[in-house]
Amino acid sequence: MASTISAGTTSGTAIAISGDTTGNLAFQTQAGANTITVPNATGTVMVSGNMPAFIATNSGTQTYSASTFTKVLFQTENYDTNNNFASSTFTPTVAGYYQITASINHDYAGSNGNINSACIYKNGSSYQISSVRGSVTYGGQQATALIYCNGSTDYIEVYAYSNNGSPQINVSGTGGSTLFSGVLVRTA
Amino acid sequence: MTLYEKIKTIYPALTDKDFEQYVILQNNLDGKGDYISKWEHPTLAKPTQEQLA
Repeated sequence: MASTISAGTTSGTAIAISGDTTGNLAFQTQAGANTITVPNATGTVMVSGNMPAFIATNSGTQTYSASTFTKVLFQTENYDTNNNFASSTFTPTVAGYYQITASINHDYAGSNGNINSACIYKNGSSYQISSVRGSVTYGGQQATALIYCNGSTDYIEVYAYSNNGSPQINVSGTGGSTLFSGVLVRTA
Repeated sequence: MTLYEKIKTIYPALTDKDFEQYVILQNNLDGKGDYISKWEHPTLAKPTQEQLA
């Protein structure tokens, strides 16, 4: 049997909260004109204030050793809604599944067969790598992954890799921009 | 000379593919510099600190 709590004025019901026998919870306004149904499930209701999302970019050229997976610096936070980004590292405080994207603008991509990579690291180990081989002056790589984070100790970083003699990462250019972004898709 | 260059000097036969698959070098920008995070080459032994010095 469904239960309903209603409130309103002399002209009619303004809001009603009801629960049905299957465990669903519904909020209705104006006699059912607008309805929000919360399904029978256990979890955390997410609102804009507690859904981590961020974009960070690098602010200068970064050089590194050839054939060496090297952490990429992201000194500028375009936004960081839950203050979970610091020191070029994303450490979300809400457990759940995050869509992570890493874009790297490599310069001097070199000759035929050279490889340039964008790598997403979780907890210090490679999680996803996207690579391009070719003979271009600039090379843009983008890696993306849906990653579970436990909301406490798990952290995400971006690494670059190139087997050119003097690899270099640019802020932006023909190969695109260098950025690191993430957003909570759903809670655990 | 970078760590990669030192290893290539010790083992000139190592290929780019080896450095993508069997020999992984890493730098976490934590002040410790480049280091060997994985050495799983099927025939070549990991260089000693003395060799890399």
